[in-house]
Order: sequence, then C-alpha cells, then structure tokens
Amino acid sequence: MSDSSSPTLAATQSQRPPFYRDAVVVKWLTQVATLLLVLAALFFLTTRAGQELAAKNISTGYEFLGVNPGLDLSEGIDTDPATGGRALWVGMVNTIRLAIAGIMAATALGVIVGVGRLSGNWIVSKLSSLYIELVRNVPLLVQIFLIFAVIAALPRAVEDQGPIHGWIHLSNKGLSVPRVFPGDGFYQWLVFLGIGAVVGRYVARRRRRSQELTGRDAYPVLWLLAVVAAFGMAGWWLHPVFGWLGPVFAVVADAVGAVPPGAVQAAISLGALAAAGWWIKRFVDSHRTPAGLAKLTDDDYFRMIFAGVGAGLVIVTVFVVWPGLASWVVNSGRDLFEVVSDKFGNGRSGPPIDGHRPDIQKLGNFPNYGPAGLNFTQGMAAVYFGVVLYTAAFIAEIVRGGILAVPRGQTEAAQAVGLRRVTMLRRVILPQAFRIIMPPLGNQYLNLTKNTSLAIAVGYSDLVQVGQTLFSQTGKSIEIFSIWMLFYLACSLSISAIVNFFNVRLRLVER
Amino acid sequence: MTAADTAGGAAGADTGAHARADMIVCEGVSKWFGDFQALDGITATIAEREVVVVLGPSGSGKSTWIRCINHLEHHQEGRIVVDGVELTNDLRNIEQIRSEVGMVFQQFNLFPHLTVLGNITLAPIWVRKKPRREAEAAARALLERVGIPEQAEKYPGQLSGGQQQRVAIARALAMDPRVMLFDEPTSALDPEMIKEVLDVMKGLARSGMTMMVVTHEMGFAREVADRVVFMEEGQIVETGTPEHFFTSPAEDRTKQFLSQIL
Repeated sequence: MSDSSSPTLAATQSQRPPFYRDAVVVKWLTQVATLLLVLAALFFLTTRAGQELAAKNISTGYEFLGVNPGLDLSEGIDTDPATGGRALWVGMVNTIRLAIAGIMAATALGVIVGVGRLSGNWIVSKLSSLYIELVRNVPLLVQIFLIFAVIAALPRAVEDQGPIHGWIHLSNKGLSVPRVFPGDGFYQWLVFLGIGAVVGRYVARRRRRSQELTGRDAYPVLWLLAVVAAFGMAGWWLHPVFGWLGPVFAVVADAVGAVPPGAVQAAISLGALAAAGWWIKRFVDSHRTPAGLAKLTDDDYFRMIFAGVGAGLVIVTVFVVWPGLASWVVNSGRDLFEVVSDKFGNGRSGPPIDGHRPDIQKLGNFPNYGPAGLNFTQGMAAVYFGVVLYTAAFIAEIVRGGILAVPRGQTEAAQAVGLRRVTMLRRVILPQAFRIIMPPLGNQYLNLTKNTSLAIAVGYSDLVQVGQTLFSQTGKSIEIFSIWMLFYLACSLSISAIVNFFNVRLRLVER
Repeated sequence: MTAADTAGGAAGADTGAHARADMIVCEGVSKWFGDFQALDGITATIAEREVVVVLGPSGSGKSTWIRCINHLEHHQEGRIVVDGVELTNDLRNIEQIRSEVGMVFQQFNLFPHLTVLGNITLAPIWVRKKPRREAEAAARALLERVGIPEQAEKYPGQLSGGQQQRVAIARALAMDPRVMLFDEPTSALDPEMIKEVLDVMKGLARSGMTMMVVTHEMGFAREVADRVVFMEEGQIVETGTPEHFFTSPAEDRTKQFLSQIL
C-alpha cells in the first residue's frame, strides 16, 4: 500500500502551480494591492482637496484655534472666549454637561417607566404605555421645538420674583435654581472621603466575614456608609490639615516641567514598540497548539506586520511629523499639576461645598438670570428635556424587554423555594435581566450624546453650534469637521468602554 | 362525590395500622382560568410519608392541582391545609408553606447565573439565614445524595438534563421540606436520563418523604406509589393502590386511559 502510493504523493508535491494560481501568493498580492489602493486614494483625496482649497484661496491649518474669534457664547464656563480653541472647548464642556446629566436622568426615568409598564397597577401601567407611545413616535426635533415654545410662552423674568421667592425662578428665560458647587476646601475634603472609603472597605469586609461565620446580619454596607459619613463630617472642619499637599504638587509640577522633550519622545516610542511587541507575543501565544507550535495563517502574519507598522508610524509622528507634541505633553502635564497644586493651596480653608441662591440682574433692557444660580436657559432646557424624555421612552422599553426575557419558570422556582419578592428580584430576576439590558442601554447612551447636537436648532452653545459659528467666521470647514468628528468619536468610544466594562463584569459574576 | 369517598377510604385503609398524621388536606378545591374550569371540587387527603402518583390525560388539571398546593396557582374555592397550616391570603402562611414544600419542575428552572452550589444554597442563605459555610456543606452532602458531588462548581448550562433535574431536586431538599411535589419531572428528559432521576426519587420515597408526583412513568407508579390518583377534567375519577388501579380499575374512563398508554 504505502510502497505504491508514496512515489505519486511525492510527485504531486513537487508540482508547483503558476504564481497566479498559488493560493498563498494570490492572497498576499491582493492584500498588498488593497492596502496600496486605500493609501493612494487617501493621498489623492488630501492632495486634491489641498489644491482645490489653494486654488480658491482658502488656507488650511489649525491656526484659528489660537486667534481671538471675537464671538460671544450664550452660556458656558466662559462666555467671552479669548481664542477659537477656547470657544470650542466651552462648546465641548456644554455638550458633555448635557450628555452626562441627560444620561443619568434618562436612565432613572426610563427604569421607572419600564418597571411601571409591567406593574400590576392598571393606571400606572397605562400611563407608562401612553408616555412611551407618545414620545417614541414624535421626532426629537419636533419635541425640542415644542419644549422651546412652551418655555417661550412663560411670563417674563421679573426682578426678585419667582414661584418660590428667591429660590426658584421660572420664566421665558428658562429655569434658575440654587447652585451647589465645590467650595474652597473641596479637594482636601475629598482626601478625607478617600481615606474614609479605604477604612470603610476594611470594616465592611470584616463585617461581611462575621456575617458568613455567624449567619447573623452584620450590615456591611451600612457600616461602610457610616464610616465614610463619619470621615466626611470630620473632614468638613479638619480639611485644612491637608493644605501641605499643595506645595507637594507644586514640586511635582516643577519636576514634570523640567523633563526634556527628548525623553518624552523616547518614552512614547518605547511605549509604542512595547505595545506592538506585547500584542504580537500575545497573538502568537494564543495561536499555539498544545504541542507548543505556532500555527499562523497569512492573515495572521499581516496582522503582526500591521502592528509593527503602527508602532513605526507612531515613532515617525513623534520625531518627524509633529516634534512639538513632546513639549506639548510636558507643558500640559506641568499645567495640570499646577492646577491641582492651586486647588490644594494652603490658603483654602473655606467649606468644601458651597451654594448660592439664584439672582436676577438687569444689565440691558430686560432682566435676566445672573451667574449665582444654576441656570437652565431656554435653549438648554429644551434640548435637555427633549433628549431625556425621548431617550427615557426607549430605555423604558429596553428595561421592560429585559425583565420579560427572564423566563417565567425562574420566578416560579424562586417562589417555590420560598424567596421573598425583593430577594427574588435582587438575586434571581435582575441579574439575568441586566445581562440582556446592558448592550442596548449603551446604544441609547450613544444616541443621547449624539442627539445633543440638535442644540443648534435652539441656539444652545454646544460644540456643533460653536463650531458652526467659528466656521462661518473663519471658513475652516475641514478643520472644524475633523474636530467635531474626533470629539463625538471620543465620546462614543468612552461610553462604549464604560458599558463594556460593566458588561464583562456582569458576565464574570454570572458565568 | 364517589371520587371523594374513594380518596378518603383509601387513605383510611392505608393509614389504619400506623395512624399517620394528615400532611395535605384538600376540600372541594376549584379553580378557573377564565371560563375554563381547571379544578372541579378536588377533595383528597395525603398522609405523612405517603407517596401519591397523579395520573391523567393532558389538560386534566394534574399540574394545576399540585401547583395550588404551594400557591404557584391560587385556588378560588375550597380549602387547602398543608401540615396544619391553611393556605389563605395571609402572606405569612404562604411563606411558611412554601418553605416546607419542595417543588421540582418539568423544565428544571435552575438559575442559570448561579453555580450548582449557588442554586442550592440561595434559599437556605436568604430565607433560612444559614451561614454560607454551613449551607455549602449541606449542599455538598445533598449533591452526594443525588449522585453528582463533582458538579458543585459548574453552571447549569454545563450539565446534562438528568444532572440538572437532580440538582433541582437537591435545591428543593436544601430547605428541609416536609413534602416534595414533582411536576412531570422526567418529561423533558432523554430516555437514558430518566432512570437516573427516577432512582433519586425512589431513594427519596424509601427515606420516608411525603411525595406527590405527576408523571407518565407507569413503572415508577407501580413500584413506588402507595396510592394512584386518576384525574380527568379537573375531577378525581378514581383512586387506589397500584395493584388495584392497574389490574382491576373500577371506572370505564380509567380502563380506557390505561388501554391507551399500556
């Protein structure tokens, strides 16, 4: 048998196909060709755009970020920004503010409405259904305009008047409520809370252990909260003792500022190389057979080569394309620590948290809200309540779906072993529902963040509105588009990362 | 009417020598799903340490009856008393009965997000407030008893159907129940797995557990049951010892049913 078959086997192996029929060669050729094609297209588009812009006498570049744009913003951390970059930053902060506050409110409202729709209480369930169907089926922009119009129809702001005199003002200028903000000693106080959390964790762990040993309820969570609260209360008056942290951070700031840019360049390059090396090593390891042989396909080699090329690109960028990056990193690091040092400064002995009642000032012809209170201007309120109400309707349906997706048998089994309602929800139903809810919930958070860009319709100074104004003044369309896209991409990726983190954690707990 | 008499009579004959206490007493229990009457005046008494097998065509109300006994379904007429505690709207009574009555379902209904050990210890820890270590030791002993001590750390999804059902039995036993209810425990299993579950149930019966079993396993009924109850259209048609029931049934309907399944 083997005598007769081995010569023919050898003969077939020795025959090599022509290169255009050789699967390996064809695969490599097409991959390289695709890569070259993409690079060529990118090169063509960028040079072509540059030529077109040059022909129309439009200069490209990001110089406008450092120039005074001479524009006033309706609201934000700085209504009269000194540079274009500062103006965009104010817009970004406004967008982030809306997104974070919106995500929290939409989640709370969505969970309540979603559970309400499942409630055995007929009125609650019908009201929830009505809300969901009404809000979900009207375009968001229409709802924002509607809220805007409702606020515009409110009475004018009058000095020293409001629904609750001196505390809450509601008028056609929007809503103004008392503002609570971090005061003088806030950061020193945070140190106290941090120490309290560490001690509290230790105490809670001991309580939990004793609960497992004796079976008696030892209230570990209550103990944790009590310890943190005790530290927080003590720190309210004692926080100036941490004033020495300010000079320490000042020393750190000086040390960071003294780092030569070359060292930063070298560190970034080494980091990129190490990351690529680590990735390749892990990749090869994950493809090892039990015998220790790495079985790699052509695609796998391509991935490893790309990892190496990526590290090379980083190094070229740092040393050749953008050498200023290193000094920028050094300066930003120094500035950051200087800010922190200032926050911890010795002179800060005021209360950690402070508050103001809203005020109304009459600077021009009409009274308007002053800076003391927390102001929801007409535009901000319209966008905020618009995206919150809209997203909450979708979140409610997701929550309802997640709970319904847990089979009925789970409830019955939990009842049959005698679990009470709350324990059953906490230990059996919700852990299974959350696994289903998390991914679509993350999508809704992304939607909410992106939908805040509708602020442009009602003149709220979010990133898109500020960018639009800057664009009409400077004509830098490509640059502003790139900033918009990078910003929203960064937001979305951050949200995805956070949601994924919880997703993986939930899965680990369960499986 | 006659059904009620036979049920009472059989129980009396069976318990005469030992004078066992009544564990489950049902008196005229009725239940409707909308217009459909699922249970029609069920009257029966199940004594301590007795094993009762409930037979009947599908839709005859067997499952509804035993689900009423731990209040997964709410009966609308009549009385149910378990171990001297009557099932009323009193939440404390319901809780007490549920913690004394173990139940095994057709679809196992294990908690997929918990390990086998987590499934068994959940109720002892959160209902009985047992220390975790004690509950886990008891759970391992129960897994030994149902023959799968090596699966303690696995998740339900990693087990075969027969193993899952044995975990479900261990989970019910972890609450030290006085009564065990089985709702078609082998109907969702492959034939070769049915035996391992039935063996566990036989062991349980031999140890003196009071059991009510809805099943189609005639072999099990013949070998283990003290009494067989035949139901149709929400009523008890006939009840008696296995020999009587399988060899010389009195009612025509029972004969017809047996001729179809045997």
